[in-house]
Amino acid sequence: MKRSGAILVALVAFAALGSCHAGSHRTRISVQRFFGECDAAYGRNIDLSKAEGECGIMTTLLNRFQAENPDIDLDVNIVAWPGYPQLTAQIAAGDPPDLVTMHQSVISDYQGRGLLEPVDETLRQAGLAEDSFTAAGRRGVTKAGHFYAMPWDTIGGLFHVNTRLMAEAGLMKDGKPIFPHSPEELLAQARQFRARTGKPYFVQSEVNDPASDVRNLYTYLLAQNASIFPDARHVNLRTPEAKRVVELFRAIEVENLSTHHQDYPAALASFMNGEGGIFPVGTWDIGAFEAEANMPGRPLYHAYQVWPYPRLWGHDASFVDGHSWVMPKRRRTPGQRAAIARFLKFMADHNFDWARTGHIPAVQAVVDSARFQSLPHRKDIAPLARDGEQLPDYVRRQSAIQGLIGEELASAIAGTKSVDQALADAQRRVDELLGQVL
Amino acid sequence: MSAPRERLPLPALVGIVIGAAIMVAPLLWTLLLSIKANDALMRDSAAAFSPPWTLANYAAILRGSSTFHWLLNSLIVSLGTTAGVLILCSLAGYGFARLDFPFKRPLFIFVLLGLAIPEQAVILPRHQLFAQLHLHNSYPGLILPGLCSSFGVFFMTQYFRAIPRDLDEAAMLDGASRFTLFWKVLLPLTIPAQATLGVFTFLGAWNDYWWPLISATRSERFTLTVGLASSQMNYAQTSGLGFLMAQAVFASIPIFIVYILFQKQIVRAMAGTAIR
Repeated sequence: MKRSGAILVALVAFAALGSCHAGSHRTRISVQRFFGECDAAYGRNIDLSKAEGECGIMTTLLNRFQAENPDIDLDVNIVAWPGYPQLTAQIAAGDPPDLVTMHQSVISDYQGRGLLEPVDETLRQAGLAEDSFTAAGRRGVTKAGHFYAMPWDTIGGLFHVNTRLMAEAGLMKDGKPIFPHSPEELLAQARQFRARTGKPYFVQSEVNDPASDVRNLYTYLLAQNASIFPDARHVNLRTPEAKRVVELFRAIEVENLSTHHQDYPAALASFMNGEGGIFPVGTWDIGAFEAEANMPGRPLYHAYQVWPYPRLWGHDASFVDGHSWVMPKRRRTPGQRAAIARFLKFMADHNFDWARTGHIPAVQAVVDSARFQSLPHRKDIAPLARDGEQLPDYVRRQSAIQGLIGEELASAIAGTKSVDQALADAQRRVDELLGQVL
Repeated sequence: MSAPRERLPLPALVGIVIGAAIMVAPLLWTLLLSIKANDALMRDSAAAFSPPWTLANYAAILRGSSTFHWLLNSLIVSLGTTAGVLILCSLAGYGFARLDFPFKRPLFIFVLLGLAIPEQAVILPRHQLFAQLHLHNSYPGLILPGLCSSFGVFFMTQYFRAIPRDLDEAAMLDGASRFTLFWKVLLPLTIPAQATLGVFTFLGAWNDYWWPLISATRSERFTLTVGLASSQMNYAQTSGLGFLMAQAVFASIPIFIVYILFQKQIVRAMAGTAIR
């Protein structure tokens, strides 16, 4: 009996010693991200040139960081898109990760409640000057005068163009699409396009996609220097500027210048199959359309370009969002802070690799670099890094607001409400929502 | 000699066939989408109706490093919840149906009130409570909330009440204790109800998404529903439609097996006959 007890004690001692492996001296930082899980394809890959797509490149970047920093134990947690319910739950439970991927439009929701740390000091520690980031990136993460995240990219709406159909419509010159410079010109070109091709000028995602119309509205309100959110509790939509934009949307619908009743997947397929001239959608679809443009026999074969939204009013502007890395507030050791700084530096240094996803990099040197500009179409869309604008830093619940405004815009565009009524209803509903934000 | 089966009138048969087709069509559509390449579906989802088909989406799921771990988590949580609910609800049902104790009626009403309270209403305090008890990201954290089954208590109480009290008296006369009466006499008679409650509890626990989403935030504790959702890339509905549908089919396979095995109980429960 005594002997078996001794053996048991020895086993426990061995197990305890065994747990004291080299890893226990490593600095552990936890990283939480979305973009999906693709370990099957990229689980051990550290060669960035072999990685494709958001998930592949992100997975490879994290693998590479771990391989190059063996003294850091990178604990990666992949969450279901977009990961904010989980993050909120983790914060409520007092155990948030060290670094989290977050849309720049969402930062205010957490920063406004004191749940995020400013990263100015961490970026300094990493040797990353604030002006090393693009203007759009800086605007996206600056809240109350501080960087509350490291910007990672800029995403926004673009005009994806079927150049073959545009040529057929007589709307190409010197190999580039002829874009309108006013709402009247846009309608005229769209009518011409319809008359010559028999197809709609626009392919649009109108069903179950409220964000699409709202992105367009914000873009053209920003172009007119409209004050969309005069303060944190109010939106300003009962304005001549907003009315002008929504009346244009309605005219496009009434005159049959756009596809109808399509949700996002249907609109995407519609554009790929050459059923319309221009698809106003985000940076994230460049890769898919480029693949079609390189596939013989497909409608977009050698017939695809992508450009920022044309200036219809005022000045060049684009409503954008972006991905970023935030640091939820929690206790951290100096070693962990140093590890986080190294992580952010690594990510900034590899911003080009991320830009291959189609998103516009947040590091200005990458935007300016020859290798980025030589990627397909990137030179044409690079101005978004400069002109991209976001809502004021005090606007919270932006996703919910997009939903409310989007519903009212859909009513106005479909004609079930007058433009005035829809804008008034949108303003009332958003004001009610903002009035309830704690 | 069994009685000849009654033939359905033609209009009823046609109605049933149409109803069945409406029910089955989305499932077949899901299945077809799941065996089609993602890029083909991106161009045209109707491509699902024509070859070539592929099992690549299923292969991608199976190659996922965590899929089987999530499957195991789901099994542990679902089986744990089912076992717990059956034990607790049987005991509670027996107590409410057969025993007399102070405040029995108010307590039963209190339990029934749970039927009227949606999970969303209690999720915040529950989350806080579990955080204070350090139960998040653990199996108990995923199983315990499912054990509070007002429906289960009500269901088992009604079933125990339907069993004649003569059996109790006979057993007591033979010298059976309360526990022996419960364990050896009454409990075996509740097997149909146990099966029904067990199946529904298992299905509910297996399909649960909301609580595991916010309680199991570490991937090693994800259940299958949360894990599969986490493996979806952005815009899965366009660039990964086939994969998305394959995930849906994969996640429903265990449920399908449960349905096959316990078809009788489920049908009886649906028909409301299990209680009799």
